[in-house]
Amino acid sequence: MNPSHEVNERVDIVPIFHANTAERVLCMPWKMRFRGQEIVFTVFGMRHPTTKGKRMIHVFEMSDGTNDYRLEFDAEHLTWTLASIVEGHSSARY
Amino acid sequence: MQDINKEKPMIMHIDLNSAFATTEQQAHPTLRNKPIGVTNRLSKECCVIAASYEAKALGIKVGTRLSDAKAICPDFIMLETDAPKYNVVYQKLIKIMKDYSPNIKMKSIDEGIIDFHGMEPVLNGRTLVDIGYEIKQRVKDEIGDYMRINVGIGPNRFLAKQAAGWHKPDGLDVIDHTNLKAYYEEMELTDLSGIAERNEARLNSYGIMSPLQFLAADEYMLKKLVFKSIMGLYWYKRLRGYEIDDYDTKLGMVGRQWVVKNPSNKNDYLLPCLSFLCETTGMKLRFRNVEARGICVWATFRNGEYWRSKRMHKSTFYTNQEVYRRAMELFNQRPSGADVTTIGIYCYELTPSQRSQLDLFEDIAKKDWLTKSVDEINDFYGAFTVHLASSIEGKKIIKQKIPFGGTEYFELLLKSA
Repeated sequence: MNPSHEVNERVDIVPIFHANTAERVLCMPWKMRFRGQEIVFTVFGMRHPTTKGKRMIHVFEMSDGTNDYRLEFDAEHLTWTLASIVEGHSSARY
Repeated sequence: MQDINKEKPMIMHIDLNSAFATTEQQAHPTLRNKPIGVTNRLSKECCVIAASYEAKALGIKVGTRLSDAKAICPDFIMLETDAPKYNVVYQKLIKIMKDYSPNIKMKSIDEGIIDFHGMEPVLNGRTLVDIGYEIKQRVKDEIGDYMRINVGIGPNRFLAKQAAGWHKPDGLDVIDHTNLKAYYEEMELTDLSGIAERNEARLNSYGIMSPLQFLAADEYMLKKLVFKSIMGLYWYKRLRGYEIDDYDTKLGMVGRQWVVKNPSNKNDYLLPCLSFLCETTGMKLRFRNVEARGICVWATFRNGEYWRSKRMHKSTFYTNQEVYRRAMELFNQRPSGADVTTIGIYCYELTPSQRSQLDLFEDIAKKDWLTKSVDEINDFYGAFTVHLASSIEGKKIIKQKIPFGGTEYFELLLKSA
């Protein structure tokens, strides 16, 4: 019913900071290492800030063309967390 | 008979297509071009509160239950609402709109109006149609490439809204005196914003069966016979393109209602929920910087009955404790027996906050400091970090919902999201 699977695990991320580009894609994650697997993001969905108490969290909705990934960057603790995955194909398993 | 307004159309209505669903599709590229829906809380019998265009094409609309949607389309996907995501879209849309005129007004989370009156010198000879296409492109560039908007341009708010809904999705239309009759000819009465089944029946009973006949009806007939009120005159002017909807509504009441998750008549279950509703009502009162004198509590029961009780107090109140104490007094007077299915509470007789004014008989300063301190703690650490002990269980049961109608409490909602 709900295609979103909660993960909530810290992950390794390689981000890109663009010098000259539209504001919404100035900073975005490029690669992620998750459970030994390297995932390269090809589609940028959306970035939106949110808060946990007064802590600023930047949420990046990314896709590798097959699955969608919700990544949370904690601007205070400088940590990246893979919050959830939306599977594009039901055969995909993590 | 008054002529159709021949003024140059200067009102632009902007409407995000299937706002919540499209935003989710923007965020989740794998869900694009698929039938999806958004709901407040996922459960077997939850309802669609926003459907994607692909879902709408299959007949899945707002209000369709998940089980029915699955029966129509087994691949239908339902997601839960995500308020921070919609807030970003809302804020960016406002930012774009403000670049064109200081006179903008958001009608809800997903639609707003730009009034271009007085802006001719800065338009540099560009037409509103050019600006409409530019806004469409900016929405794609600045919010997301999957976001689509409808733009409607008209001489008043009503016709601009009608124009925005003429060719969905991603349309841009102008309605003015040159094509007004041709537009009405294409439409049904219920296609007009503000005309639903009851108004349609009212019009039908006087032989008005189409928008064109509605336009041809004279002022006296609409005012004295059809609507039997000033509404008849308003409709007479609105249909002709004269502005009568440009006013600010006065805040009349602040409240909250909740469909009881597990209908019951047990106080052990209902009172914590009532306490939580009172807590959010108190927060809303302080957010709007008002105090109330009147309070009303109402409920509906499983047997179909409706009950309500209201009371006007001599002094104003604004703290969560005061709202709860007053609401509980009324709620305990409800008929016993039947299970409660909906609880509602609202405060009325609102006046601007006078929190600094001292009271002769009550230690008001202490109460004020306590409320301010609790609000500051909740602002810093997140909503409901400190709250009434009586609402602990209620907080676990009741979920904050995305407000559909107005945007007044969106900021408040985000604090608790």
